[in-house]
Amino acid sequence: MKVFSNAETFNYSWEEVSTANWRKYCPWNEKSTHVVAVDTLSRSVDPDTGILRTERLITCRQSAPDWLKKMMGGAMEESQVLETSYVDPARRTVTMVSANLTWSNLINVQETVVYRPLNAHQTQFTQEAQITALCGGWQRIKNSIEDTLVKRFRENAVKGKEGFEAVLEMSRRVFAEEREREKMMMIMAQAPNIRRAAAEADML
Amino acid sequence: MSQSLDKQCNEVKERYDTCFLKWYSEKYLRGTGTVDNNECSALFKEYNQCLQKALKERGIDKLLEDAREDNKENDAAFLGKKK
Repeated sequence: MKVFSNAETFNYSWEEVSTANWRKYCPWNEKSTHVVAVDTLSRSVDPDTGILRTERLITCRQSAPDWLKKMMGGAMEESQVLETSYVDPARRTVTMVSANLTWSNLINVQETVVYRPLNAHQTQFTQEAQITALCGGWQRIKNSIEDTLVKRFRENAVKGKEGFEAVLEMSRRVFAEEREREKMMMIMAQAPNIRRAAAEADML
Repeated sequence: MSQSLDKQCNEVKERYDTCFLKWYSEKYLRGTGTVDNNECSALFKEYNQCLQKALKERGIDKLLEDAREDNKENDAAFLGKKK
């Protein structure tokens, strides 16, 4: 088994990060292109704890090294991951656990990601992945498979951070514009009252 | 928003995702609203019907059953339920 771990700080509030997290893999993220589809399978709020539990199917397309393709006798290009996430609004944490659906007889990948607030303006991201090659046979081959995946995790983590930063920035801008528009609508709606009040004031 | 596994589900998925995001940021994070009976549930039902078909066609439904079985420990740990 090999372990990959990583920690990052985002200069955005936990509320912003946990919201933007739902669209981490949208077109604003030009870096994480290996994620080609994200589907929500189920979603529920626990009535006792208020925890939001979501199951998502993540579809990735990323080619495997040639030696591994040869060994498996396939392209290995498309793979699926089941991500189960738990948003705890009381503790203000998002915990996401992911497991590979594809090639699960060959490898077992378990990833845990947690977002928690550092303060009102910063959020910490921690990630840990455990990678275990299950195939029988030489230890050397198992090690190579595990090392390949650790390397892939490291590359995707760098891209993931850059891509998510872009999503966070866009989300903040869109939310600000939305609020501005709502404010304008309210002023417009109030305009006749203001005019009437002004007219009445003139008459006095 | 991101794409769906099946192109045919993209349109309803987009509508559902937009609805959910609004609910999440405006209601859930502010401590109001439950997911089971909210404004997005009709959209989710429609999206899920499309998605289930796509999962079955690709044989992913079977893989999901196994993975869910393996995830039970995580549910116990992160939903904070006593066994």
